[in-house]
Amino acid sequence: MILTGLAIASQVVTNRIDLDPFDPAQVNPNSYDLRLGDTLGLYESHELDTARDNPMRYEQMGPEGAVLEPGRITLGHSVEVVGSDHYVPIIRAKSSVARLGLFVHVTADLIDIGSHGQVTFQFHAVQPVHVYPGMLVAQVTFWVPRGAITLYDGKYQGSRGPVGSQIASEKPSRD
Amino acid sequence: MILTGNAIAHEVQVGNIVIEPFESAGINPNSYNYHLGSVVKTSPHLGLDATHPEEWICTEIPSAGLVFEPNRVYLGTTIERIGSDKFVPSLIGRSSLGRLGVFLQISADLGNLGAFHNWTLEIVVTQPIRLYAGMRCGQVTFWQPEGDIALYDGVMARHSDAHESIASAIFQQPVEIIS
Repeated sequence: MILTGLAIASQVVTNRIDLDPFDPAQVNPNSYDLRLGDTLGLYESHELDTARDNPMRYEQMGPEGAVLEPGRITLGHSVEVVGSDHYVPIIRAKSSVARLGLFVHVTADLIDIGSHGQVTFQFHAVQPVHVYPGMLVAQVTFWVPRGAITLYDGKYQGSRGPVGSQIASEKPSRD
Repeated sequence: MILTGNAIAHEVQVGNIVIEPFESAGINPNSYNYHLGSVVKTSPHLGLDATHPEEWICTEIPSAGLVFEPNRVYLGTTIERIGSDKFVPSLIGRSSLGRLGVFLQISADLGNLGAFHNWTLEIVVTQPIRLYAGMRCGQVTFWQPEGDIALYDGVMARHSDAHESIASAIFQQPVEIIS
């Protein structure tokens, strides 16, 4: 079951959903809009490696925004802190952004229950696309879980700004 | 309703969900991690045609990993055999790879009730990236359906290798046009 916008708003009031800052104008019929924060993250190397650190550089956007280029992955972040210990958040692009060919995540729409932080957007632009800080770029939905809950306690907890992949820090799970 | 990690583990135990092999370390708060099999397929041709069977070339990922290149689709498989008659699987990537620009499927995340197999992964990368066989590469969620269930008996569930598109086979089926 997916929460309606009114349910999301009432769960924010009772602190069962974290959306901070919260603005009733960003409530949709069955989701909540997320705004684009002002920092972008880009990997220094063109060729990446999942077994090694991939150093990033960060760029601060002014009100003039920035052009996201195709052929690379650019990380962004939500202005809002998002999370819940009671519902599973799933993010989506705003359709207005998707219509410009901009992916806001790369087949990783699911957020763990118990994870609280600014969402790291995984931007992949099909054509060059100009984005601006503060624009409504994504939306988050909330889903009712079934079963006993064990809260997220992983390496991205409490994220602020765009957070690069920490995959190289993982122990290989198989030989 | 989406199953929590604890609920997934319970349903595996009682046989309502199949994940083989299953390890409790693979459980997330609301999903289960799958791993990348060692064989990937890719087409030597840049242009693909949905109405013609394509030639696909198998590559074994060496122990030093394989650099996946942008602008082409690679077909891989999950190491795990995954399926359920009771809960709808949805297979997605994971944020640690999404942050590196690795798509694990192409907007086709939905599984069918009753399909049990090693899933074919549709891997697309935005920058060249080295991936390794056996790595944790994505996650599967399970959703409680509503309504009577007619189980999947389509052709894709019979494939557990990295299987190329059967769009051409679908295309050649007689199509009933309703005017």
